[in-house]
Amino acid sequence: MRQLQRAAVEIVVAIAIVIVLFPFVWVLVTSLKPPHLVAEPDVWRFAPSFANWQDVLVRSAVPSNIVNSLIVSLSTVAVALSVGCPAAYAFSRFRSGVATRFSILAAEMMPPAILILPLFLIFYRLGLIDSKIGVVIAHLTFVVPVVTWFLIGFFDEVPRELEEQAMIDGYTQFQAFYKVVLPTIRPGIAAAGIFGFVLSWNDLFYALILTGGDSRTLPVAIAGFWTFRGVDMGKMAVAILVAVVPILIVSFFIQKHLIRGLGGGAVKY
Amino acid sequence: MAGAELKNLRKTYGGTEVLKGIDLKIEARQFTVLLGPSGCGKSTTLRLIAGLEKATAGEIWIGDRNVSDLEPRERDIAMVFQNYALYPNMTVARNIGFGLKARKMPQAEIDARVAEAARLLGITQLLGRKPKQLSGGQQQRVAIGRAIVRKPNLFLFDEPLSNLDTKLRIDMRTELLRLHRELDATTVYVTHDQEEAMTMADRIIVMDDGRIAQIGPPAEIYHKPRNLMVAGFIGSPSMNLFQGTVTPAGLETPLGTVRLATPLEVGTAATFGVRPDDLYLPDSLDDAQIASAIDVTVEIVELLGARGIVTMRANGQPLKGVFEERFLSRFREGVSLTLALAQDRLHLFDAESGLRLN
Repeated sequence: MRQLQRAAVEIVVAIAIVIVLFPFVWVLVTSLKPPHLVAEPDVWRFAPSFANWQDVLVRSAVPSNIVNSLIVSLSTVAVALSVGCPAAYAFSRFRSGVATRFSILAAEMMPPAILILPLFLIFYRLGLIDSKIGVVIAHLTFVVPVVTWFLIGFFDEVPRELEEQAMIDGYTQFQAFYKVVLPTIRPGIAAAGIFGFVLSWNDLFYALILTGGDSRTLPVAIAGFWTFRGVDMGKMAVAILVAVVPILIVSFFIQKHLIRGLGGGAVKY
Repeated sequence: MAGAELKNLRKTYGGTEVLKGIDLKIEARQFTVLLGPSGCGKSTTLRLIAGLEKATAGEIWIGDRNVSDLEPRERDIAMVFQNYALYPNMTVARNIGFGLKARKMPQAEIDARVAEAARLLGITQLLGRKPKQLSGGQQQRVAIGRAIVRKPNLFLFDEPLSNLDTKLRIDMRTELLRLHRELDATTVYVTHDQEEAMTMADRIIVMDDGRIAQIGPPAEIYHKPRNLMVAGFIGSPSMNLFQGTVTPAGLETPLGTVRLATPLEVGTAATFGVRPDDLYLPDSLDDAQIASAIDVTVEIVELLGARGIVTMRANGQPLKGVFEERFLSRFREGVSLTLALAQDRLHLFDAESGLRLN
């Protein structure tokens, strides 16, 4: 009976793995197909070609789009962490109640379509359309709440006595926060940073509307392979892999902290 | 080393008064223990002295300074928490030296002081380790090291031994006392463990419901409890207590009539108490010392080693006694025998106010 149960679980897990991995395998295979086979999804036997890879990585704007994406995502994370850390600390240390904690996520629940119009108009006035700063500001609207939410749980787990000890040892409350508490939750900050990075890195909606020329980010570039002449699937596949694989690898290593952080603010209540 | 003084100290949390006016002088160089059941306000008192909480009213003096409005870092105190509060990302050496760094002490002097504290506590070989690589006892030593390295005016301990197992707790008790003597330090120590309080304190402050119930040396607290709360709280097993009424013959109690050394007004309702250690076999007392003889039936005998706890019934009332092992052969379960109460070991309390009468 137990063996049967185990076999059933293994089958379900195997199916789940196939469902999750199949798109990646398909995209990888597509990226290696010669141009005349790209449009034929049922062809699995062919001589692999690196033409698409060369076209995308050497002869297109994708490398500069990657640099744009890196600048945008890293800036977003830097600002989000420097705002989110003190905010999460405050939510954790000063009695805030469940409702207040969940209100952090209110911005997340709003459809981005509601925000984009005012943002576009404001950025237009400020001359921030087609600039990386504009995208960073737009990304902060959803990365800051998530990073804050993410970190509350980590702060909750730091005993108050640690700060109190630091205050007795001769430090101010703020010094206790950044000399003692912050270093203690370093893994949490790293996970929150990576999570915020992924959110910003993957965003298409804001970047598509707010950027155009030189400031295009990688997701916009990926979408750009869909032109009026059709979808250039081979090159798109390469760009997708370049965008996704690094994120997957990093997420794999921090998955433990990711799970802890995502439940974070609510777990202790 | 300085003493400290609390003047009419009050603390209210959201309408609930947890400290109801504490007046207390903590003598310099003494080991003062704040003892009481949980929720009595002892930890709050300590946190107020440390400056981790602000008093609602009253003053705190350390030495000749009014520190009531000062931040913890300005009070020149050191504190050891129940969970040790070691900085998890720092080595033992950095943990101990962290407070000195805050005071901008030159690194060479910090190193020297850390080494000295580590030598004193026998943790020199642990200086390079992180807290999570240490056992509970070792963590405790590091926390104490961090306190002594600063040479503060006042040491505060908040139930520092309660996370340790019994054997280690007893060892650390001795160690703490040795340190206290060696450093000639003023120490305020919070515990709910009366054994810890009795063995360590120069002076015990028993707290109850936000007030001080009694202040005195351990022997006085044990032998002359000022009220029923202290009588019941101190001593293990706790004091046997019975209601009684004063008659011309003595105190009429469910155990029989007890002869009183202190004359009391006839008709007074009194609570009469006798410690389990103060029940005697009649042949071990002189007649003059005997206040009353009581007939008991033995129910249960629990051997603790050199002593045993005997649960008995006297006139239907439960009664506990503690006897040395050599007498225990007489206390077989089901046996009836007579015990004596010693005149100078009786406790009388006013039935209404709970205050001591004799």
